[in-house]
Amino acid sequence: MSDPVLEVSELAIAYGANLAVKGVSVTVSENEILGIVGPNGAGKTTLLESIAGLHPLRQGSIRFRGNRIDHFSVHKRRKLGIVLIPQEENIFPGMMVKENLEMGAVLMPARERETQMDYVYELFPTLKERSRQIANTLSGGERRMLAVGVGIVANAQLFLIDEPSVGLAPKLVTNLLERLRQLKEDTKRPIALCEQNIKVLNVADRILGMEAGESKFCESLDVVDKGKVKELYLGLHA
Amino acid sequence: MILNGFINGIIMAGIVALPVLGIAVIYGMTGVINFAIGGIGVFSAFTTWYLLPYNTVLAVVVGLAVGFALGYSIQALLLTPLSARRGGDLNLFFLITNNIGLIFVGLTRVIFPRPIIGIPLPRLGTINIFSVQTSGLKFLALFIAIGSLLLLRAVERYTRVGKSWRATSQNLRLAKIVGINTSRAFNVASGIGCMLAAFGAIIWGSLYNLTLTTGFDLTFLGYIIAVVGGIGNILGGMSASLIIGLVLSFSAYLVSGSWQSVILYGIAMITLIVAPRGILGSERSV
Ligand SMILES: Nc1ncnc2c1ncn2[C@@H]1O[C@H](COP(=O)(O)OP(=O)(O)O)[C@@H](O)[C@H]1O
Ligand SMILES: [Mg+2]
Repeated sequence: MSDPVLEVSELAIAYGANLAVKGVSVTVSENEILGIVGPNGAGKTTLLESIAGLHPLRQGSIRFRGNRIDHFSVHKRRKLGIVLIPQEENIFPGMMVKENLEMGAVLMPARERETQMDYVYELFPTLKERSRQIANTLSGGERRMLAVGVGIVANAQLFLIDEPSVGLAPKLVTNLLERLRQLKEDTKRPIALCEQNIKVLNVADRILGMEAGESKFCESLDVVDKGKVKELYLGLHA
Repeated sequence: MILNGFINGIIMAGIVALPVLGIAVIYGMTGVINFAIGGIGVFSAFTTWYLLPYNTVLAVVVGLAVGFALGYSIQALLLTPLSARRGGDLNLFFLITNNIGLIFVGLTRVIFPRPIIGIPLPRLGTINIFSVQTSGLKFLALFIAIGSLLLLRAVERYTRVGKSWRATSQNLRLAKIVGINTSRAFNVASGIGCMLAAFGAIIWGSLYNLTLTTGFDLTFLGYIIAVVGGIGNILGGMSASLIIGLVLSFSAYLVSGSWQSVILYGIAMITLIVAPRGILGSERSV
C-alpha cells in the first residue's frame, strides 16, 4: 500500500485540565475506510475535530501527505482538502438543500462545484428531489444525508465523518454506510469514520478501538476480533 | 390634519428605520446589540457636513464610507478579539459598545469646529400628496430605507457572499468548518450596520438639526424600535418603525410634542412586559 495520506502520532488533546485524547497514533491511506469505535466519551469526536484543526494540540503531530499541518488553521486545512462532517449541528437549518451544498463547496471554483453537486445528487437522489426545501424541514434521515452531502460536495482529499448513523432507523443506517463505501470506491479517498453501530464492520477496512482517550487496538478487519469489538465498544448500539 | 400626521409619520418611520436596520443586521450576524452605531453615525454625518462645501455627492459618499470603515474596524480590532476571550458576555458588550459611542461623540466635539449643525442637502423640489406639501428630500429618506432593505434581502438571497453571511449567522461553527471567512462576515455586517446609521444621521441632519446628542437619540430610537419589532427581525423592525413613526407624528398633533419620549418609552416598556420577543418575535436571521 502507498504512503498514508494522514499520519497522526502521539496525539494528545485536552479541554482545560482534562485530557480527552491521550497519545493516539493512527494512519489512514488512499482507498481505505478507517472505522473508529469506542463508547461515548472515548475521545472519537475530539480526535476527528483536532485533525480538522478545531483544537490546539497538547502533544504529538499530524502529518498530511508527509507535511506537518498541526499549526494550520481550520480554513487552511479545508483548503488542503481535509473535510470534517461533524456529528451535530452539521447543516445550515434555514437554508435550502441546494444552498447548503453550495456552502459546502464555497471554496471551489464554480464549474467544479456543479460537478460535485451532481455527484452528491447521484449518491443521494432524495436530496435532488428536495433541492429547494429548507433544511430544517427535512426528516431526520434526509438531514443526515444532507450533512454528509455538505462534506462530500467539497471534493475532499480526506474525509473525517463523525457518527453519521446515530439515531437513524436500521434500514437507513445500512443505506447510509453503503453510500460511504460507494464514496470510497468512486473517489479512492481515505475516510476516517467514527461509529457506534456494529454495521461499521461491514464497510471499514481497519478498525481503531478507543476507550477513555486511549487507542486500545488498531487492526485490519480480517484480523480484528469482532466479538471483542461488539462487546466492548459497540455493546449499547449492537 | 390626519393626512398630514399620516404622511409625516411615514417619513419619520423612514428615517428611524435606517438605524433599526443597522442594529438588526449587526445583531443578526454577531449576536451583539451595538449601542455605538448612533455615535458613529453622527461622527460620519459631521464628516459629510465638513466636506459639503466641496461637493455634495462626494461628501455623502465619504460620510457613508467613514461609517462603514469605523464599523468594520471596531469589529475586527476590538469586538471580535474580545468575544474570543470573554465569550458572549452581553453586559460587557453593552458597556463596551456604549463606551465606543461616547468616544465618538467626544471625538466629534474635538475634531469638528461646531457642536450643532444642519446638513443643507438639496430639497429636491416639493411634492404634493393629497394637498399635503412635503420636500422631495423627505421622500428620498423613505425610499432609501426601503431600498436598503430590499437590496440587503436580494444580496442575501441571490449572491454567494450574501449566502455565506446567512450561513454564518445560522451556524457559525459549520461556517468556519466549510471554509467561510466568518470574521470578515462579522466585520462587513458591522460596517453595513454603522453605514446605515450614518445614512440615518445624514438625513436627520438635513431635515432637523444634528447635535452631539443626536447619536443617543438614533441609538435608543433604533434600539427601542428593534425591541418592539423583535430584535434581529428585520420585517418586525420595519413594521415597528412604521408604528412608532405614526405614533410620534400623531402624538405631536394630538397631545404635544413634549410627550413624545414618554409615549415612545412607554410603548417600549409595555412591549417588553407583554411581548418580550417583540411583536413579530425575535430571531437571528440577517
Ligand atoms: N467542549 C468540551 N469541553 C470539555 N470537555 C469536553 C468537550 N468536548 C468533549 N469533552 C470531553 O472529552 C471527552 C471525549 O469526548 P468526545 O471526543 O466527544 O468523545 P466521543 O466522541 O468518543 O463520544 C469526554 O470526556 C468529554 O466529556
Ligand atoms: Mg462523539
